[in-house]
Amino acid sequence: MSLIQLLRVTKEYRLGRTTVHALRGIDLSFERGEFAALWGPSGSGKSSLLNLVGLVDVPTSGRVILDGRDTAGLDDGERAGLRNRQIGIVFQSFNLISVLTALENVMLPLTLAGTSSATARHAALLRLGQVGLEGQAHQRPDQLSGGQRQRVAIARALVTDPLVVIADEPTANLDAATGHQIIELMRSLNRSQSVTFVFSTHDPRLLDAVDRLIRISDGRIVDAKEAAA
Amino acid sequence: MISLTIALRSVWKNRRRSLATLLSIAVGFTAINLFSGYIQDTYTGLRRTAIHYEGLGHVTLAKPGFFERGGVNPAKYIISRDELQRLRRLIEAQPEVQLTTPLLGVSGLVSNGKISTIFIADGEEPESSARLRALPGEDRIWQQDSLDPRRSSSGLVSTGLAALLGVEAGGSATLLSTTLEGQTNALDLDVLGTWDTGNSATNDKLLRLPLDYVQRLLDTEGASRLVVLLHPEASADAFRARLAPLLKEAGIEAEMRTWEELSVFYRQVKNLFDLIFLFLFTIVFIVVLMGIVNTLTMSVMERVREIGTLRAIGMRRTGILRLFALEGGVLGLLGCAAGVAFTFAIGSIINGSGLAYTPPSSSSPVPLTVAILPVQMLVLMGLLSFVSMLAACIPARRAAQLEIVDALGHV
Ligand SMILES: Nc1ncnc2c1ncn2[C@@H]1O[C@H](COP(=O)(O)OP(=O)(O)OP(=O)(O)O)[C@@H](O)[C@H]1O
Ligand SMILES: [Mg+2]
Repeated sequence: MSLIQLLRVTKEYRLGRTTVHALRGIDLSFERGEFAALWGPSGSGKSSLLNLVGLVDVPTSGRVILDGRDTAGLDDGERAGLRNRQIGIVFQSFNLISVLTALENVMLPLTLAGTSSATARHAALLRLGQVGLEGQAHQRPDQLSGGQRQRVAIARALVTDPLVVIADEPTANLDAATGHQIIELMRSLNRSQSVTFVFSTHDPRLLDAVDRLIRISDGRIVDAKEAAA
Repeated sequence: MISLTIALRSVWKNRRRSLATLLSIAVGFTAINLFSGYIQDTYTGLRRTAIHYEGLGHVTLAKPGFFERGGVNPAKYIISRDELQRLRRLIEAQPEVQLTTPLLGVSGLVSNGKISTIFIADGEEPESSARLRALPGEDRIWQQDSLDPRRSSSGLVSTGLAALLGVEAGGSATLLSTTLEGQTNALDLDVLGTWDTGNSATNDKLLRLPLDYVQRLLDTEGASRLVVLLHPEASADAFRARLAPLLKEAGIEAEMRTWEELSVFYRQVKNLFDLIFLFLFTIVFIVVLMGIVNTLTMSVMERVREIGTLRAIGMRRTGILRLFALEGGVLGLLGCAAGVAFTFAIGSIINGSGLAYTPPSSSSPVPLTVAILPVQMLVLMGLLSFVSMLAACIPARRAAQLEIVDALGHV
């Protein structure tokens, strides 16, 4: 059984009187431990697709099945609970909480889940270590560089041991070298911890490392290739 | 609690804006406290005036109907000597009672031989009346003389009336009235002294006369009212409620009025002050409400992306609501805390300054003081913080209703 399954998923946005067809019938599944990239031009539907996988948004039609569970009937609170425990999200512009330290940011998903602060702290420090930021634990986001912030965000996404980490253009706000390092970090975490990653990019130079490349254009998957690991 | 941490730090992060909101809450809080401290002190003063200086005691008893119609037909409402004795014995046996003193009202003409004018007076028992009128545990603020128990034909004349008649201490006048039977009666009065009633409406009419003098004038051995003074902590209403069944049991028919019901002046002042207080409170309430809504609306608008992020990593809508409600509560609480400091500072400056002022319809200045009321401050603090929290819910609800995708912004 696949970790994540999308069945004939569509997504439409209403803009006044016109309807934007962002996704036009997607059938797609992801397996445990995958390192997959969504690639396509701007407006092709990458973000829309990742939002559905991350339970941040609901499809207009079709089904999103997470670990064998159909997410269609879930209410808002249940979806929040699933996002909290089973999904890790890395954003394009890092999206750290500015008033919290790096450590507190990483602890946050666990705190929201009701984990005791000692346990949360321990787990967060471990993750900060894995992204190479144990020394920056007590700094606020505005004291960190872009690359460091994105590492904190990755640690935050990993801290609950989620089923999948989704990352929508995680390198778009970083310079090329730093972007590369971030992808490398994700790749090594994928290898060493078997974390499942699905990220999107429109930068073809970042695609060397991926197991699987999903090309999307105008809301449709145009070609999926399995790369040799 | 992480929400509290975020709320506190967000308040601090925007400290310039927070400070403006805090100050407006603090000023409102201080205004309410100082004003209610002032009226509290005024009420305390007026209460003393009514109970002791006006001689209303805590509770006054009379025959049923006396308070409405006693002026027209005094004979009908006379408490006989025997009844009065029984009544006093019963009441003085109650633990909260300090003393009782009977009164017998009279009105008529007073003459200096050349001119006559109307007077009203209460005949009072000199000893018990003097004890009623003595202020407990304080220097006497009011200059007032007492009747002389050894001189049963001497009374006190209000200063306005004395001036009208051209009499002074040591002089004499003649009082003219009708007995309860309806016969005209006249008695001479030695003027023991004069006193200022403190009220321009009565200062040219009032006399204070010994009870047995008035009894002779009206040809009766009874009284029309019995005034009861309680110990300072006792409540007049509670005492009345407790006494009513005892009176019934003893077969005594009597109606009771508390000093609050009898003192028109107290009620007028209290009604006015209470109204002003309500007005002030409403204004502060609105200022706090609008300040918080305004501040939190800005806070929500600036943090839409943060809201989206929190929701995306699993915070529920109620969590967002709580986050901003807490922020409002924190602002309210801090504002009130600053207000407590202001109240103590300004309050002690006022109380230490020795300021005095002459209140309307009073004939001498009284010290301007404000009571510092810690319990009331705590209650107000809780109330305003709660209001702040509720006010914050208006923008917070909007924040909680945001769709995550919209909040994150579609980039
Ligand atoms: N919230 C929205 N409201 C209206 N239209 C939207 C919304 N989000 C996306 N769209 C539209 O849906 C289509 C797909 O957008 P999407 O953001 O998924 O593409 P993308 O591949 O992520 O593009 P980009 O590379 O620019 O991020 C676009 O035409 C976009 O304008
Ligand atoms: Mg996108």
